[in-house]
Amino acid sequence: MKLLTHNMLTSHVKGVTKGYPLLIKATEVKVNEVEFNPQFVCRMIPKLEWSALVKAADDLGHRQDLPAELEPDYEKNEDLLKKVHRALLEVEVVEGSLQCPESGREFPISKGIPNMLLNEDEV
Amino acid sequence: MEKENVRYYCTAGNGMESFLIDEVKKKLKAEDVCRVPGKVVFSTSESIQRVTELKSAERLFLLLKHDTPLNLCAKPGQASNLLQSRLLGDIDSWTKAAATWSRLQEELVDRVQKVDKRGKERIEKKRKRENEEEEERKRASLDEKDRKRIKSPQDVEETEDNDGGTDPVSFRINCKCTGPLARCLSSQEAGRVIGVGVSRSLGWKSDLKNPQMEINVNLSDDQWILGMQLTRLPLANRSYLINTGVRSTVAWAMASLAHIQPGFCVLDPMCGVGTVLVEAALEHQDACFLGADIDDGQLQKANQNVAHAALGKQIQLFKASCMALPLPSASVDAVICDLPFGRKFGTKQHMTIHLPLIITEMQRVLRPGGFLVLLLTPQLSVHLKKHLSTGTPAQELDTELQCNTLEHQATFRVSLGAIDGLIQKYVREKNEPINTLSVALQAKSHSSIIRSKTFLSAFHDIMQK
Repeated sequence: MKLLTHNMLTSHVKGVTKGYPLLIKATEVKVNEVEFNPQFVCRMIPKLEWSALVKAADDLGHRQDLPAELEPDYEKNEDLLKKVHRALLEVEVVEGSLQCPESGREFPISKGIPNMLLNEDEV
Repeated sequence: MEKENVRYYCTAGNGMESFLIDEVKKKLKAEDVCRVPGKVVFSTSESIQRVTELKSAERLFLLLKHDTPLNLCAKPGQASNLLQSRLLGDIDSWTKAAATWSRLQEELVDRVQKVDKRGKERIEKKRKRENEEEEERKRASLDEKDRKRIKSPQDVEETEDNDGGTDPVSFRINCKCTGPLARCLSSQEAGRVIGVGVSRSLGWKSDLKNPQMEINVNLSDDQWILGMQLTRLPLANRSYLINTGVRSTVAWAMASLAHIQPGFCVLDPMCGVGTVLVEAALEHQDACFLGADIDDGQLQKANQNVAHAALGKQIQLFKASCMALPLPSASVDAVICDLPFGRKFGTKQHMTIHLPLIITEMQRVLRPGGFLVLLLTPQLSVHLKKHLSTGTPAQELDTELQCNTLEHQATFRVSLGAIDGLIQKYVREKNEPINTLSVALQAKSHSSIIRSKTFLSAFHDIMQK
């Protein structure tokens, strides 16, 4: 599971109002080399919850100086774009879990795929 | 390098012709596009490489002949002769086509080598140019006697590639006669007659088992089309997919309707082995894709497909139920989904019962102005239409949606082999509408909504930006 995906996933356990962001508990993390596409990164940034990304990268020990606040001129800052690229697409949680911040419910991640299925009583 | 116009035709699955026409025009700047049942004929000067990258076509042929039919049934005894003389009367067209075919075959096979070759050629040309300039400089400073000794570059013979177009080739005729013509001349007989004619007139060798060239002959009452097959496998067979699900051509067509822009996030909430995601991702390299499925086996296969196609940077998978998507509302730009047909999903009843919930979730995660593209059976579409026309979402879902927000825009009927499917395109309307729209949306009957088309299309234009 890449951090781009984590940035979008939310807990939808019944009754939960604030199921985002999910807390990452990783037991196996991999860093892959992914071809840098600056246009792609630029397009993704406005859609991101920036603080959630920074926190997730931080929790995994891969923050690599990502700023706490996103500067307005990020499109021209190739250095920043590369850091965002790395955090979003190159860092991958292979094994671990995602925890709902409100209910504490854990969603396991196995072989890089998070299992967000709820039980009958949780829906 | 001069670009030569070549005339091709592609076969297309039933219902796919309009997608193919759009694709050849857009990707190949095709000219003289001609649509006949099950085929699209076109001319382009783009490389054969580009032509083989067409995504909505079945098979690709080099056009050999496209004639108006002769009435062979008028004199049944003369049918074979007439057929032969008509098709083989102009031998030149056959030899020319064969030469083009050989050239295209070489270009296809040399794909990898060609890249190196092109690089080498560029270096060689540069070296040649530099040498010529050197020689000119040298000769300018020499006296006449010495000049005669040194040859000018033009004297050096250039070796050219042998095009081998007139070498005899082994062939097989695949012939199909349809309509009233088939009554007096069977496909088999016509194929045999043409085959004999080809061997005799061109000296080519007939090989029914393993021919180098497959010649397609389609004789109907409306046209006679002949072509030389250019690829061993249909274009519809994708080398980049190891696990197959829905037909790739149809999956690509579905993705083409979602108007994916750079930076989009596209969801397939029942992704299966990921065919739709792979086809869409290859077409739109600046968009990201999410795939969800409830089944481990399917997700594993999807994972394999994504890895095999090297699309891990664009496609992300997670396990979830399409009826409870772990995504915030209005968070994806497009939803594309091949709704599992009754049989695979369990029983037919299972699917129709859950349909309202499935559709409501899809609407929820889709941002206003975003497109929803579905592939479903005609029967399922009836259920869907009923649900959408009642104007209320599934009762059991506690949702902020007060009414249905999907506006149907188009339907395309396509063949899926044994059965037909419907590709349906919807747009997700805005929740907080301007007054007139609010009144319209609260109307119970979907079909009785009167709205200004121009107003809505302007709306959509704004949403697209």
